[in-house]
Amino acid sequence: MSATGHHLPAEPEKIVSIDAEYLAGRRFPYQEDISLVEHVDLMAATPGQDLNWLEDVTLLEEEGTPAVFDRYSNSFVKIYFPIPDGREDEIARKVLIKHLQSGNSYGIALKERHCKFPQPQLGPWVTGSKTVGTDWRPSVLEGWEPPAH
Amino acid sequence: MTAPGQAREARFDARGLVELDERVPNVAEIEGGRARFDARDLTTRQINLELRRLIYGEGIADVVVANPGARHSLGVGILARCRIAFEGSLGYFACGMIDGPEVTIFGRVGWSACENMMSGTVLIEGNAGSLTGAAIRGGDLVVKGSVGARTGIDQKGGTILTLGNAGSMTGFMMQRGRQIICGDAGPGLGDSMYDGVIYVAGKVKSLGIDCVPGEWTDADSELIERKFSIYELGTPPRFEKFVCGKKLYNYDSLEPSERRIVL
Repeated sequence: MSATGHHLPAEPEKIVSIDAEYLAGRRFPYQEDISLVEHVDLMAATPGQDLNWLEDVTLLEEEGTPAVFDRYSNSFVKIYFPIPDGREDEIARKVLIKHLQSGNSYGIALKERHCKFPQPQLGPWVTGSKTVGTDWRPSVLEGWEPPAH
Repeated sequence: MTAPGQAREARFDARGLVELDERVPNVAEIEGGRARFDARDLTTRQINLELRRLIYGEGIADVVVANPGARHSLGVGILARCRIAFEGSLGYFACGMIDGPEVTIFGRVGWSACENMMSGTVLIEGNAGSLTGAAIRGGDLVVKGSVGARTGIDQKGGTILTLGNAGSMTGFMMQRGRQIICGDAGPGLGDSMYDGVIYVAGKVKSLGIDCVPGEWTDADSELIERKFSIYELGTPPRFEKFVCGKKLYNYDSLEPSERRIVL
């Protein structure tokens, strides 16, 4: 390294625990207000005659805060309101479904930009959501041209 | 056919599709919110395109596919709430990566049926090949026949219910979820499983590494009775429960948040 001040670029920031707020850049109202999730019908939100995939969703904890894991974006959705005793998993599931139905899961944002095949933007959580992925084109590196052969 | 001296146009799809014909066949008969089409003369991609047109485009929630002809990779990646019935057997990778559909397959399926399934229900009337429900993350997969080797390999959630027997290494590297096997299980059951539960009503040829008998609870009885009731499978037999012995746990190198998910 010369003394004239040539510096290597700084290491990229490394985030160990990713949560939904970090990915979205904001906190969502249903993380702070239980009344916004009380009405969520879990049975109606899942296929089949029982809770289906939500059976595996339970209340966890992230950085000392109650949280539910969003498998569609590999992130935690923290819950800031007091959770009534005995309703931990139910509330966690309701927050998660609200998060997915609201289209706030980061995986849904990625769909709009990157999905390669047509699919409903809000997946199985909202009936009749718009179709995304109808016009996917491979990204091209700036300045690159295909070989002449 | 390319004429002599004429350059042949090279076609490819950057998404990796082998079958480049993207024409939607538009052959389904739609009546009263239900659709039905005959797949006998359609290619694999045409069948899947027709399914997507009906479910995503037309908003049809009930589709019947006649004569699927045991083609591979049918019904994959359907991400919507709907009902799909295949009137016949399917090949390998049937209904993989689905999220939401309730599928009935009136026949058998090849290997890797419902791999990476996220949610929904799949009912297979016949047998299923090896790797059934590989890496399944949620939903119910019910096989009325028997399943092959390594069923539920890398299972991360959901329930796989088999009325018949299960092959060797069933539940290999299972991480979460449930398997209910009403018949016998082959050698190496639950080998290297991290978590999850396997119930077996028949004989177990041998247990895999770190798979041990578990203690029966009321929650186990409730789960099995509920699933048998939902799928109208009659009175459940008596099961033995197997879980992870946790002797292979080595999570010291994991981040705390990762550890919480796994555990």
